[in-house]
Amino acid sequence: MFYLLSFFWNDWLSITMPRHQLIQLPAMLLLGILLAYCFSTLAIQDMYWGIAILIFIMASFIFWMLPHSIDVAVINKHFNRVMHINMLLSGFLLILVFRKIFFEVKILFLGMITAMLLASGITLSVFNMLLCSSFSIEQQKQTGLYLIFIAIALFIFTAITFFSYLRNRSK
Amino acid sequence: MIQIDSTDIKKQKKLALTWAITFLILFPVLITLGLLMRLRQGEVTEAAPSEFFSYMTLHGLGMAGVLFSFAFAALWYLNSTRYVKLNVKFGWFLYIIIAIGVVGLLIGTLIGKFGPGWYMLYPLPFKGTFWPLWATKLSVISLIILGVGWLVGILHILYALAKEYGGITNLLGWQYLKKDNSNIREIPSMVLITTISLIPGVFALIIGAAMLIMYLLQSFEPSLAFDPLMMKNMVMFFGHTLVNITMYCAVGWVYALLPEFTHREWKVNKAVVYSWNATFFFILFAYLHHLYMDFVQPTSLQYLGQIISYSSAIPATGITMFGVIAQVYHAKMKWSIIPLMFLFGMAGWAIGGFAAVVDSTIALNSSLHNTLWVPAHFHTYMLMGVVLFILGFLYYLFSGNNKEEKDSFGNAGFWIFVLGSYGFLLMFYLGGLNSVPRRYSNYSGIEIDHVRETGVHLAQCAALFVGVLLIGLILMYLSLICRLVQQKATNKKND
Repeated sequence: MFYLLSFFWNDWLSITMPRHQLIQLPAMLLLGILLAYCFSTLAIQDMYWGIAILIFIMASFIFWMLPHSIDVAVINKHFNRVMHINMLLSGFLLILVFRKIFFEVKILFLGMITAMLLASGITLSVFNMLLCSSFSIEQQKQTGLYLIFIAIALFIFTAITFFSYLRNRSK
Repeated sequence: MIQIDSTDIKKQKKLALTWAITFLILFPVLITLGLLMRLRQGEVTEAAPSEFFSYMTLHGLGMAGVLFSFAFAALWYLNSTRYVKLNVKFGWFLYIIIAIGVVGLLIGTLIGKFGPGWYMLYPLPFKGTFWPLWATKLSVISLIILGVGWLVGILHILYALAKEYGGITNLLGWQYLKKDNSNIREIPSMVLITTISLIPGVFALIIGAAMLIMYLLQSFEPSLAFDPLMMKNMVMFFGHTLVNITMYCAVGWVYALLPEFTHREWKVNKAVVYSWNATFFFILFAYLHHLYMDFVQPTSLQYLGQIISYSSAIPATGITMFGVIAQVYHAKMKWSIIPLMFLFGMAGWAIGGFAAVVDSTIALNSSLHNTLWVPAHFHTYMLMGVVLFILGFLYYLFSGNNKEEKDSFGNAGFWIFVLGSYGFLLMFYLGGLNSVPRRYSNYSGIEIDHVRETGVHLAQCAALFVGVLLIGLILMYLSLICRLVQQKATNKKND
């Protein structure tokens, strides 16, 4: 799957901004998550390491949302691969951290990612200046709109996770 | 029932005392800012408008933040010493996070003169401002830090309670609604109210974080143009919910502490569960009454705003007032300062709540909107509600074993404080009824003589009443310090 997404379909996925940002990037993250499920015993035990890794993951998301990073990733294939590996690693590490980290940190992380995606989506959908020269302004607005949908879905997921953790937690 | 050892209780008490002292320092400072604002409106001083608005911003954000933080800290203390184990180190971590946020906000407003008001109505903080951009950025970042601190703290309490009481459904009291409720897990009323107050806070803080990130993006990219209506919906959802749950957090500890004085149980039952669960739903949508003047807001939401504002006021307030009456009616209790404060706090909640319902009526809001009626109602349930609950809790915390002792010094301070506060509030209400606008640094620009002159006179009187209120507060502070010293001496003797 990684080969298909990163090499075989890369040109097609890099043509438009929604494909690049909303399919390729989350797909890599998802692959990382699935990969982590293959190693069911692996987990980051230490809370400090866990928080540090979550900060790294969040910083990665922010970095790959920056217009300049997106531009370079589209132009430079090697840089694009760094993005793929980074997202794959982020997804993988996310699950390892989530296996042992406190409930509070989990919900905080999901909540903040939701807030970030919502803010980015709204920003992209209202911004009338072209942020990434590799794409068009229509694509930029479209990406923004879909990001809002993803944020809403993640908000619902966060709420479900929140309530499911609070359900039947008897000692 | 969980057993909490005395070492843990001591540690939690130390944390609560640190919160208490922080509150006691910040609260009069923020009141002084309010006094300076009223003096400026009364033309007694000639502070520049920029100073007035930075004071107004710090007063609003500061009071909302300090009151919520302390209400949360008090809930933390009471829950952790009675019902559930909470991590005290985590509590200290939250204290530091919140302190960092407060310091950032102080620098942003007092040095940077950040002054768009607590609501930071978009695009106000970015268009033709008199403060530098760094002040906006710092203030927004500080608010994000505060939000993160509160969110993590709320999650910690909720998770610990869910573990202790067998899940969220039990915390919401749904076990009481079953047909056969003979063998159910009972929950203390404070636990129910803690849950109902804090869960909406989680959602409000996430939406607040999204909104603040957008403010931050706007501060980096001035050409951005968000939809002002959407931003207003977000800021009001965040702000209104936070202020609303501050009141409910405070009501929570009255449910736990008042029975200690009346010597009557205040148990959870079906009526309590139904009413507080209804409130849980209504809290989330009551904010819509802030948008009546926004003609582009869908009309259906305006009607919904009125209906939900009415609905949110009735169940929790009704059941609590009834409960308080049942608690104190013919109870063999000593009316020491603590139950007195709780009773007056309830009255402040009811009076302020009624004034809020009046303002949330669309037909009346068209006259009262943006007049001094608005600060009148929220100052009533904050100053005469939440603050009295907090002061009552502080007396409880500082009192050691003898909580019903006679305290003429404290009592005198209390009555002076109440007198000063209601005098100060009355000036707001009269201002509202005379169409004096809110958020004006001075009234010289108002062309209607009657409104201008009334505004100035009422502001002067209000400043006088704030003076009275501060005298009462100083007396109560002295009484509190005496109690704390006494408690320390007793503890030393016992050790």
